[in-house]
Amino acid sequence: MSRATVARPSRISAIWAGGATAISALIAARGVLALGQASTVALCYGFAPSALRAPSGSRTGSGTGLGGYAYGYPALYGMLGAAASHALHAQRHIHLYGTTSEQLGAVAVTQRGYAAKRPGTLGFERPITLADHQSSRMICDPLRLLDCCRDTDGGVCVIVATRERARDLRGAPVRVLGTGTGHNIRNWYDKSVYGHHDDIAPAKARAFAEAGVGLEAVDVAALYDPFTISVVMQLEAYGFCAPGEGGPFVAAGETGPGGQIPTNTSGGPLSGYYATGFTAMVEAILQLRGHGGATQVDGAEVALVSGHGGNGGVQNTWAHATALLGRGL
Amino acid sequence: MSRRVRDPLDYAPDDLDRPFWDGCRRHEFLLQRSGVTGRYHWPAVSDPDSGREAMEWVRVSGRGVIHTFTIVHQAYRADLADRVPYNVVVVELEEGPFFHSNVVDCPNEAIRIGMQVEVVFDDVSDEVTLPRFRPRRPSRPVGP
Repeated sequence: MSRATVARPSRISAIWAGGATAISALIAARGVLALGQASTVALCYGFAPSALRAPSGSRTGSGTGLGGYAYGYPALYGMLGAAASHALHAQRHIHLYGTTSEQLGAVAVTQRGYAAKRPGTLGFERPITLADHQSSRMICDPLRLLDCCRDTDGGVCVIVATRERARDLRGAPVRVLGTGTGHNIRNWYDKSVYGHHDDIAPAKARAFAEAGVGLEAVDVAALYDPFTISVVMQLEAYGFCAPGEGGPFVAAGETGPGGQIPTNTSGGPLSGYYATGFTAMVEAILQLRGHGGATQVDGAEVALVSGHGGNGGVQNTWAHATALLGRGL
Repeated sequence: MSRRVRDPLDYAPDDLDRPFWDGCRRHEFLLQRSGVTGRYHWPAVSDPDSGREAMEWVRVSGRGVIHTFTIVHQAYRADLADRVPYNVVVVELEEGPFFHSNVVDCPNEAIRIGMQVEVVFDDVSDEVTLPRFRPRRPSRPVGP
């Protein structure tokens, strides 16, 4: 007799919100569980962006690849893909605060340092230097090649269950302390869109209020980081440092091992692997289980997870999603 | 002299924004103004402040300042390979809204946040005119 368990789901639904997909799916799962519609929900992710790439050796995208999508009227002007979108934020940040390319490079170098110690990541045993960053070719000024993540073929499954069900499951459980979302379309109309990475404030407020903890409780951060500027601006928006201080904060090593807030400890999408928002969620779970290997944050009890993506009207108008996870039940 | 991106990559006006693109063909820059708040908006919407549809198309100055920009070096489409590097700017229009565009008549390396610009209409085909922006020059005397 086969030992395989035949899956008999009561429902299957698709959720797509770009890099906010993982947390959006978690929020949907919490709703399903809260309504008693199920006791266990599987968040399943799989993607093979390599199928979208241009032939080997070509330096130009296929036009349909993950990196070069067209979106609305800005495409008329050659505004294609996520790097250009994030470059607009980065250029504004440089203008407002004097953030430097070297400070953005510090994000890349720090996170590669984590990935270099984590088997299975794209950056395993391949550390980089700031000089490597500075000599990497320009993609969308001011973002260089090493300011950008790479897409990755892969899959993730996260099981979300009621507390009662989780007690009966194998493996070390992780608690969902709080979740929240915000959307940047509001900031398009009030013209703060480029000063913000996303509309993080409402997502953060809801998640932390539900969790009943403050920022000081967070031991490890897993921030969605398609580009280096994303880490800088989120560290500021979440309050780990003051607005404009994100660059110096990272350059001083505060996101590295032993820093104030170890961030993206598997390398994140930048140097670990890209899984559309699941990268951060997976690393937070591993850290809270104590399975962070050579980059484990000792005694990690609370992890902050973020995601952003899913355009909502104009290029750059992403959703932002926040989750706070805690060790054990 | 910077190279221009000539071809419309994604020109698909619908009923909402057709008046804007028709205005461009007449070399008139239009924005929607809310009949409720008087604020101007782009892209075409119902009034984001009130949710009501009391919006009218109004010819505006076509002037603004560069709010942010990027220089695109990566050719994300094969047909852009001979055009990189090119600029993409976000203009903060005098009337308020942001507008993505290109700056022309200006080297990429001279583009700065805060630069004052004015619209210039680029008739890329018989059917399509794209508004782009050029640095504003000091006013010149009229006449020969």
